[in-house]
Amino acid sequence: MKDTLIETTPTAVRRVTVCSSAGRLSAGIIRPARLSDAPPLVVLHGISRNAGTLARLFAPEAERTGRTLIVPHFPAETWPDFQRPSKKARPDLALLALLDLVAAEYPDIAGPVDIFGHSGGAQLAHRLAMLYPHRVAALHLAAAGWYCLPNESMRYPYGLAAGTDTFTANWARRHAAALRAFLDIPVCVHVGTDDVTRDDALRTTSALDARQGRHRYARARTYVTALNAAAEAADLSPRARLIEMADCDHDVVRAITENHLATRVLDARAALT
Amino acid sequence: MTLADTLAHAKWTFATRRVDRACVAGTDTDFAAAKPGDLILAHVDRLGQHRRVQLPSGRPSLIFPGDAVVMACGARYAPDQFEGLAEIDAEGADLLAGGGCIGRMVARNSRIKPATRLVPSARLLGADGRAVNLAQFALGPRHAAPLPPVIGVLGTSMNSGKTLATAQLVLGLRRAGFRVGAIKATGTGAFGDVNEYSDSGAHYVGDFTDAGMVTTYLEPLDRIKSATETLIAEAGHHGCDIVVMEVADGLLQRETAGLIADPWFARLISGLVFACGDAVAAMGGVAHLARLELVPDALTGLVSCSPMASNEAQAATGLSVLTKEDLADPAEATGLALRAGLGRQEAA
Repeated sequence: MKDTLIETTPTAVRRVTVCSSAGRLSAGIIRPARLSDAPPLVVLHGISRNAGTLARLFAPEAERTGRTLIVPHFPAETWPDFQRPSKKARPDLALLALLDLVAAEYPDIAGPVDIFGHSGGAQLAHRLAMLYPHRVAALHLAAAGWYCLPNESMRYPYGLAAGTDTFTANWARRHAAALRAFLDIPVCVHVGTDDVTRDDALRTTSALDARQGRHRYARARTYVTALNAAAEAADLSPRARLIEMADCDHDVVRAITENHLATRVLDARAALT
Repeated sequence: MTLADTLAHAKWTFATRRVDRACVAGTDTDFAAAKPGDLILAHVDRLGQHRRVQLPSGRPSLIFPGDAVVMACGARYAPDQFEGLAEIDAEGADLLAGGGCIGRMVARNSRIKPATRLVPSARLLGADGRAVNLAQFALGPRHAAPLPPVIGVLGTSMNSGKTLATAQLVLGLRRAGFRVGAIKATGTGAFGDVNEYSDSGAHYVGDFTDAGMVTTYLEPLDRIKSATETLIAEAGHHGCDIVVMEVADGLLQRETAGLIADPWFARLISGLVFACGDAVAAMGGVAHLARLELVPDALTGLVSCSPMASNEAQAATGLSVLTKEDLADPAEATGLALRAGLGRQEAA
């Protein structure tokens, strides 16, 4: 899977590297000339690992809205797995360390952050928010391949039903423990109406297809419905919105350049909070 | 050598770390009048169990016969070492704890050596002629309202894993982004636990010695409760979002038993981790806590080192058994913090 190639104006990016018990992680920090009071936006790439492209595409919108961008890069060599906390990798620990570093170096933006993730980045983003809702102000998920449903309709990692082994039982418990706080986070799920291809990168199992849908578009709809149902069951106001991008497939560059995804994300704050 | 010279060269122990030494204006030898917390200058007579004392700097110091040491008169509860009382015999006294507790040993675990013997030289007096006491240098009351949420750590006994659990939970909470206070509500003053809490990154660390007691053994419960509230408020004053509070020794220890049976305790804590030595201890301890209407959020401690024992404990109690690695994991710690009532907005 490849994104559309695009030339954009180079942006000044400060590179930072953090050490954590899970390994090193580098990120680009982009600070606009005029800073707003709004939280920074963390931009998480997908399996194409196109952090540089996303940084360039989000930078003009960050400049316009006064938002600081934090754009981590998970290289394939050191982070072959980064889409979710697992036995193989703990990207959540590295991201927490990164947020601590940014908060220490830029006290004006310390506090919960907005997070945008595309595809595998959306996979990581929603799990990070489930585990650490106190670190997340708002969540923007673009076309995740599949989700951890906020109910026990499926076994972890597809849902919160505990598996029979200790590992999945532990992770189901951890996700469930913070569920109420997570459901109180405003969530925008962005997906293209043409994101219906069952490509090689899409996880397909009979259970997943049956419970979440056969493609990303259907799964996004399922997830938003599940989030809002869980919120209502917890006596919370539903805070998840589905934002359909007309005639858009899974290409994040096209979603940004033609469907104004970055603009929507950075302008959503007033409507979300 | 003048008193000032002697005191300047003496080894002041960890328990005296808050004392303003300039307050010492004189001495007497009315040891019969010594009360818990009074400062005693003593000389090492004969080495026994303790061959070191703990210094305020956080390092141990070897001691030798003839060394001058400043300690606080106090009692000691330590089933694996001594039971001692806050009494000073002018003919000779016992080093009850290396953190700086001098008193009279009344019972000794058969597996350890006799206590190091001391010759009391003087009781330290202030300018008003009264004994200098740790309580004079205790933290003052804070009016932090509301108090931060508290996760209590209890255990079945000494050495069941409470301090490690406390420190590892502090680490997990700190990694999750919380400002964390770590306090020890009861026990005998020593730097080991304080250092372990600090090493784990606690933003505030305090124990009962900060509230003016060298040991809580045989102290009135009301004084211990007041000291505990002072420490929690102090953590709040330092901006802590949450406090992890270790209560020393086992559930049946005099002060611990009194504290947890008091409805005050259930109101004070909003989360509870219970450290157990084995599955039977877990079952019995959880049942005992249930009679006090206390329900742990999780089990931990030595039992968690064994998967088989953990499975037995979990089956017997219905509670999850967390290893030290689990507690240090910010994902686990966040769940405990949120269950303890730390909301998303408060934490932010």
